[in-house]
Amino acid sequence: METFKVLFVDDEVDFLETLLKRMKKRQLNVFGVNSGEAAMAYLKQHYVDIVVLDVRMPGMDGIETLRNIKKISPLTEVIMLTGHACLEIAQEGMELGAFDYLMKPINIDELLYKLQDAFQKKSIQQEKIQRLKEVMTARPSAMSDSRTV
Amino acid sequence: MKKLRDIFRNLFSCNSPPEDPATVEKLRVAFKERYHNFKLLLSANNRSLEVMAEMEQALQGEETFGMPFIRSSATSISVNVFRMVQNLHQLAPGKYLELNERFTAIQNAIDGILKQTRSIPEVRMVLPLSALDKDMADVAGSKMANLGEVRNRIHIRTPAGFVITSSAFKRLMDYNNLQTEIDRRFQSIESGDIESLYTFSAAAQQLIIRARIPDDLEMAIRNAWEDLEAENGESITAAFRSSALGEDSEGSSFAGQYRSELNVSFENVFQAYKEVIASKYSLQAITYRMNKGFRDEDILMCVGCLVMVKAASGGVIYSRNPVSGQDDGVSINAVWGLPKSVVDGSVATDVFVMSRTRPITLLHKSIGIKERKFVCYPQEGVCRMDLSAEESTQPCLTDRQTGQLAELALRIEAHYGTPQDIEWAIADNGAIYILQCRPLQQIAGVQEPADILDTKLEKRLLVSGGITASPGFATGRVYWVDRNVDVLAFPEGAVLVARQALPRWASLLGRASAVITEQGGFAGHLANVAREFGVPAVFGIPGVSNMIQQNQMVTVNANRRSIYDGVIPAPSGPPKTRVNRMAGSPIYEMLKNISTHILPLRLLDPDSPEFNPSRCNTFHDITRFIHEKSVIEMFNFGKDHNFSERSSKQLFYKVPMQWWVLNLDDGFREEVSGKYVRLENIDSIPMQAFWRGFVSIPWEGPPAIDRKGLMAVIYQSTTNTALTSGVRSAYAERNYFMISKHYCSLSSRLGYHFSTIEALISERPRENYVCFQFKGGAADNTRRLKRVYFIKDILQESGFRVETREDHLVSRIENHDMAYMEKRLEILGYLTLHTRQLDMIMAHPASVAYYDQKLRQDIQTLLAAH
Repeated sequence: METFKVLFVDDEVDFLETLLKRMKKRQLNVFGVNSGEAAMAYLKQHYVDIVVLDVRMPGMDGIETLRNIKKISPLTEVIMLTGHACLEIAQEGMELGAFDYLMKPINIDELLYKLQDAFQKKSIQQEKIQRLKEVMTARPSAMSDSRTV
Repeated sequence: MKKLRDIFRNLFSCNSPPEDPATVEKLRVAFKERYHNFKLLLSANNRSLEVMAEMEQALQGEETFGMPFIRSSATSISVNVFRMVQNLHQLAPGKYLELNERFTAIQNAIDGILKQTRSIPEVRMVLPLSALDKDMADVAGSKMANLGEVRNRIHIRTPAGFVITSSAFKRLMDYNNLQTEIDRRFQSIESGDIESLYTFSAAAQQLIIRARIPDDLEMAIRNAWEDLEAENGESITAAFRSSALGEDSEGSSFAGQYRSELNVSFENVFQAYKEVIASKYSLQAITYRMNKGFRDEDILMCVGCLVMVKAASGGVIYSRNPVSGQDDGVSINAVWGLPKSVVDGSVATDVFVMSRTRPITLLHKSIGIKERKFVCYPQEGVCRMDLSAEESTQPCLTDRQTGQLAELALRIEAHYGTPQDIEWAIADNGAIYILQCRPLQQIAGVQEPADILDTKLEKRLLVSGGITASPGFATGRVYWVDRNVDVLAFPEGAVLVARQALPRWASLLGRASAVITEQGGFAGHLANVAREFGVPAVFGIPGVSNMIQQNQMVTVNANRRSIYDGVIPAPSGPPKTRVNRMAGSPIYEMLKNISTHILPLRLLDPDSPEFNPSRCNTFHDITRFIHEKSVIEMFNFGKDHNFSERSSKQLFYKVPMQWWVLNLDDGFREEVSGKYVRLENIDSIPMQAFWRGFVSIPWEGPPAIDRKGLMAVIYQSTTNTALTSGVRSAYAERNYFMISKHYCSLSSRLGYHFSTIEALISERPRENYVCFQFKGGAADNTRRLKRVYFIKDILQESGFRVETREDHLVSRIENHDMAYMEKRLEILGYLTLHTRQLDMIMAHPASVAYYDQKLRQDIQTLLAAH
């Protein structure tokens, strides 16, 4: 599978460091920040395929960060990863378009699979949009034709 | 975005064959996207079934679990079911919208149960002891409520004092927003991981100790203290004792789980209050709650503040023997100074056993060597003093005092009507104070036959002596605990050996098979918890450390107060049953309630009109429904699109077979344009495995059937409409494989039965699964059932989990590596061919035996092949 870039957002510094280390061992291109604000700042500067987001953080919390990410970059997939097992928040996150809501402690391989699945989803979406652009530029009439079918 | 999607969808809705390469490309992307959606749906389905299985396991009540388990299981299932609903909407937009409403209804029901909390009455944050009685346990905690009862209803002397109530606790926790933070940290702990539990315990206690006490609470405590001083006529010091809510549940003592702060001066009142509260998260308190199935949020910490009694002597009274059926007197445990060293098991004690009948007389006594005592410093704090040889051997109670204490104990017992566990102190001036009383946990003693005392056994006796702190019989390896860190390394099932019977070892009783200590009596906290957990314990064997080795295998017979070398079979008599701590506990009941919205599966038969979204009453129903429909949707999409690459192909293996193959994604090595697909061109790992098994051993042909068997088949095949085509979708009419490289779904109709196999096999063991369902058969019901059981046995031997309901069989296996999973599919391939029409011979024991043996042998051959 192609490499992709993941941003981890978690206010627990120890947890984040361990996770980054283990992900790097698995040849992943990863970066970590400690808050929702820092995540938004990073995303404005850098391209990221997937964000792994903690839910409870001081300042901008996970749900709010998710909402902001989807605003500026709807194609970026977001996976919630949290120690906070709350049905309501999980639901809210999923409805806001999170790819999944995972609970700590997480099996590291399972997290890796989720990242791969999320990336594949994103790739397919991008491919689809790419094709659509081609259709629209190459055959401007195709759209109106198909609409009438 | 949505608009784009609509336009895009319209592009593909035409049914004329696509010609130009650009459109073909787009169709490929569409198929790819659908397949990815489908794959995500399957993975969510698999995950939710897994968590449901864990939930079912937990409901067996044999393992301990807590709220984090319940919350994370419920959330995980809910998230995965939600993903399935979304994925199905992607596969069939607008077709199953009713599922949303069902999903929300079920989720709300679960959320409602999760949010139930103990309702506590709104009361003042501080109440004087003089205002309490036993009915006020929900505001004052059971300990202080009972002390109020002793003082105000039984009119026996207690120290003056007040209680900082459950309202105050809530105020403190809410003010600092502590509960959510603590829950969040607790959630991340892996079950059984003592080390991270330890870290959590330290962190949670720190959070509380650093918390700020709100001004109104501080003022209330300050005022109460001033009132107490005014009443006392001079400046006071006090004892701060935990008095938790929820301790009062049947069969749970919470003995010594929390902290007490003795001889506290006003300066340190707030610190002491927070420290007592923080002990809710001591390691032993957390493990105790987990082992007993208490919800963290149900335990509200009230704190009693009692004027300190400067005790000359103190101790604990059991108004009866905690082991019933043994000598039945009032036993008084006593030490010099504060009673602290009786309950923490750190010092040998005097024991006086008094008659229960009046006039009260001394039945017998044993005077311990009390090496030290704890006394109050004048200003604040407690000091440990070594005693002189003369003082240490002197009884610490007079005959008059033992009589008075026994009399008080009998009065309290008579008032409550149950045996009592009473803590007391005698002040310098001779006044007796009751410090605490609670119901005594009594357990049944074990009568042992005398014959086990044979000479062979006596040779293996390592040591005997001490007292039976908790009866029973157990075997295990010796593990010494001395420092706190030993808790982390303590192995499951070991025999715990310690110098002192300290309450902190209680956190190990969920894992220890038995307990042996050099010091400590049966009135200590550790003894209490050992009895409660049914862990055999012998306390007070001096010098035991020199007689047994670390890691040595020993057998403990607590009834005989004996320790033997090696493994000795348990004495005959009823087998020792470990106390089942979960069943009936609040946590267990909550899981049970929640599971009724998750686990029951009512949607069984996809052919029935009941099989629709409105009948989905549980998450299991929803997963079952969605899974069934997603397979059909995948199939129909392939059929409906006149896209030759993705239309179904007839399997060509030597000759054209009666099997059709639908490629979902990357199931073919190269694209197929014609009518047939050759087996060599199939690149699906699970399908190839199935086929290997299917063709491995030639079929002998239909079993020779008796005339009755044949009649049964003919009769059933004409009446059982479910067996004729037209009822189910096209997918069920033929033998179809839907495949990708790692996936295969097969519905087959071989002979008269209907079966489906679904498998996902890739390099991700955690996502791998094989599921096999089987239904029907043409013979009459009894024979069909017999065949189902026949197949069930074989599948179970091959590692499948199997459930049967009538003639419907569902089996599943998951999380193994590729090679193992492929072998399971080979077995299914083999069984698919070789079990058809077996129902006909099921009435014939001899034939059954023949096939039984043949099938098992063939499977062995299959498993051995490479």
